[in-house]
Amino acid sequence: MKIRIERFRALRPVRAVGFSRVVLTLVLILLCLLFQALSAIVNHGSVFLTYERLISAVNYGYFIGFMALGVTFVIATGGIDFSIGSVMFAAGLISGYCFRHYGFPMAACLVMCPLIGMVFGLVNGFLVSYVRLPSFITSLGLMQIAKSVGSLFTRTQNVSWPGESEAGGWFRSLANLKITLSGGRVLNIPTGMILLIAVAVLCSVVLHKTRAGRYMLHLGSNREAVHLSGVDTRRWEILAYVICGTLAGFAAIFYVSCYTTVLPGKGDTFNNEAIAACVMGGTSMAGGLASILGTLIGTQMIAVMQEGILAMGLSISFQYALTALILISAVIADISSRRRN
Amino acid sequence: MEDVILTMKGIDKTFPGVHALNHVDFDVRRGEVHALMGENGAGKSTLMKVLTGICAKDSGEIVFEGRTVEFRSPGEAQEAGIVIVHQELNMIGHLTVAQNIFIGREPKRGLFIDDARMNKEAAKLFAQLRIDIDPKETMSNLTVAKQQMCEIAKAISHDAKVIIFDEPTAALTENEIEQLFAIIQDLRAKGYGIVYISHRMDEIKRITDRVTVMRDGQYIGTLITAECTKEDIISMMVGRVIYEDPKTENRCPPGAPVVLKVEHLNAGRLVRDVSFELHQGEILGFAGLVGAGRTETARALFGADPRDSGDIYIDGKKAEIHSPRDAVKAGIGYLSEDRKRFGAVLQKSVAENTTLASLQKFMKGIFIDKRREAGTAAEHVKALKTKTPDVEQPVKNLSGGNQQKVIIAKWLVSDARIMIFDEPTRGIDVGAKQEIYELMAKLAETGKSIIMISSELAEILRLSDRIIVMCEGRITGEMDIADATQEKIMAAATREIDQQRQAGAKEGSRP
Repeated sequence: MKIRIERFRALRPVRAVGFSRVVLTLVLILLCLLFQALSAIVNHGSVFLTYERLISAVNYGYFIGFMALGVTFVIATGGIDFSIGSVMFAAGLISGYCFRHYGFPMAACLVMCPLIGMVFGLVNGFLVSYVRLPSFITSLGLMQIAKSVGSLFTRTQNVSWPGESEAGGWFRSLANLKITLSGGRVLNIPTGMILLIAVAVLCSVVLHKTRAGRYMLHLGSNREAVHLSGVDTRRWEILAYVICGTLAGFAAIFYVSCYTTVLPGKGDTFNNEAIAACVMGGTSMAGGLASILGTLIGTQMIAVMQEGILAMGLSISFQYALTALILISAVIADISSRRRN
Repeated sequence: MEDVILTMKGIDKTFPGVHALNHVDFDVRRGEVHALMGENGAGKSTLMKVLTGICAKDSGEIVFEGRTVEFRSPGEAQEAGIVIVHQELNMIGHLTVAQNIFIGREPKRGLFIDDARMNKEAAKLFAQLRIDIDPKETMSNLTVAKQQMCEIAKAISHDAKVIIFDEPTAALTENEIEQLFAIIQDLRAKGYGIVYISHRMDEIKRITDRVTVMRDGQYIGTLITAECTKEDIISMMVGRVIYEDPKTENRCPPGAPVVLKVEHLNAGRLVRDVSFELHQGEILGFAGLVGAGRTETARALFGADPRDSGDIYIDGKKAEIHSPRDAVKAGIGYLSEDRKRFGAVLQKSVAENTTLASLQKFMKGIFIDKRREAGTAAEHVKALKTKTPDVEQPVKNLSGGNQQKVIIAKWLVSDARIMIFDEPTRGIDVGAKQEIYELMAKLAETGKSIIMISSELAEILRLSDRIIVMCEGRITGEMDIADATQEKIMAAATREIDQQRQAGAKEGSRP
């Protein structure tokens, strides 16, 4: 058995993708099958793997995915960002409010989302890299500030983005492009998935092919050694937070195009899911090691989990505890693998 | 002898790759101050750690008050009556003096701590020691000297019979030292056995009764302090046979230009008015004991730590160095003594570490040219004879000597002209040491200028063209290799405080 695993590990495609990513994908498939079986038992025949459920899971994976991609950079530098969920909501609230109440054109609102995220990322990154505060504290602070800013801007009102048929509703095709076929059937093209993969490829290139990515990973491995090699560590560290914030803002577009309404003072529950997706994918909480592909697979795992819980007729409140458990187990796995080395 | 309170016999201790203690004997009598001396790494601290149960001995016997003992923790040793007053004080700043002294064994009244009794007990201890400290004072408000006295009071409250002082005067002023000595004399008169570890020769002469010298983990001998001279002690400390040939002449050509000039550098407590020059192609050795301020000088010079004052000139032009980045731009490379923390990014590959200080040279547009990076890394692996299967290997898989070579390659790739080697062979085995030495000599021949900080005298004498000796933050000696001897270096490295002051005043008056 052991020899077989070693042989499988040595296969070329497996090595290219990374053994743990392959395992993670297998776990993802198993998880789908498990939910299929469990939900069939629990719901007397109603199954998990339906078209609607899959679309729903994929939708959930969009905004979690963009946040997780962003936070991968921060975790690579050895930091953490707990503000991404609230920053996403702040972006959704502010730009949606501008659309509803100030008559901003939709295109401008869509550009505003990542820009708002970027501002939060910049503040967070500045506090971490130049003021040298622990990211754990600054991002918790920014989480609350983002909630306040979003709520204050909208006078503590919900903001609903336009529906498909309303003016400006076209933005929803960024996540799901719906084409009505001649027979009256509607074809749903998951454009959001294409965009998510495109952004992931971009992230992967930045992380592994450019100076910025190289230094971020080195920073997470051994900050002092990098600093003493004459590298301006602050510049690259702040960039990681800016990328993270920008992508959190970008995630807002996909949240509202799937779920329409943003509530003030919320959003923080999504942090753990994005961070869990990232750590499950093999990005080390200790910094220095990151995998964009892993984050992508981890995201789908979180999405399937959420949908599976619903399919079994369980309360969504289970999701919080389950995500926390996954996060903790992923960190345990990460720590124990590093101890072994 | 009946007044012997503690005997250590044939103590042996091996760490991986190092024979730290080789059948060491040591004893302490009631009512004596017994000095324990030796160079850094001679085994003094290890011996005391074995005694107080911080680490276990491999073999040997400890007899304390007539019984064979084996302490498994400092707590057990303390319980039995052996207490160590550490160099770094172990007090909790925000608690009161009395709370610190009685921590873990506070007098209780019912469920509550009896503060009044605790303060009274502490006051009694201070009266016994004739020290004036308020037991209710917060610890962090006291001076280092006063905190140390609290440690002594704590030791006595533990009913100690043997008290070990580990470099107790390192952070004290002259007045405070006098006070401490008075207390130590007093303790001696009361019959305590005292072990006194210090590098300061004048202190040893003043307050100790016997001196035991250790070298390279071995017991060398014990002298009666009153009957020996400082020179006797020094020659016992350094009297090792040097197997490698020391350098006999300065190989740096006489007319070599000054590439680096440091003037009146001050940074914190351990870099005080340091001035020196470094010539092209020269290896300038920085000798001294650990804590003499050599690493601190290097870090201040490299911009890694802030400096209070002083100027740095490179090629005669004033250089503004305020960060390692500035230093690297100016052509300086720093190879830390702690390679794992400050040198290499261990998880990452040989190739990535090789280009770490000069990645901007390996860019093709916005992308890293990984092929060129790997090529350059492979060239340096070959040139420096680094043993690694390939350049993709994480540095953590390499041995200490090969890790050092990767770091040398990093600075070669970044075109550093001045390289600061801090303990270049620490943690490197003998064979690889040789290679690093040859490499450094070759670097100097090719025109690199090298500052080498080393606590190994043999290393200093083997490589340096010129030697600077530091003690307590000041330069206390400067000599050409032709005039240098171990004794001269050691004398300068342990130079007494007042002599330093004079030297400092002279230096200050020099234009």
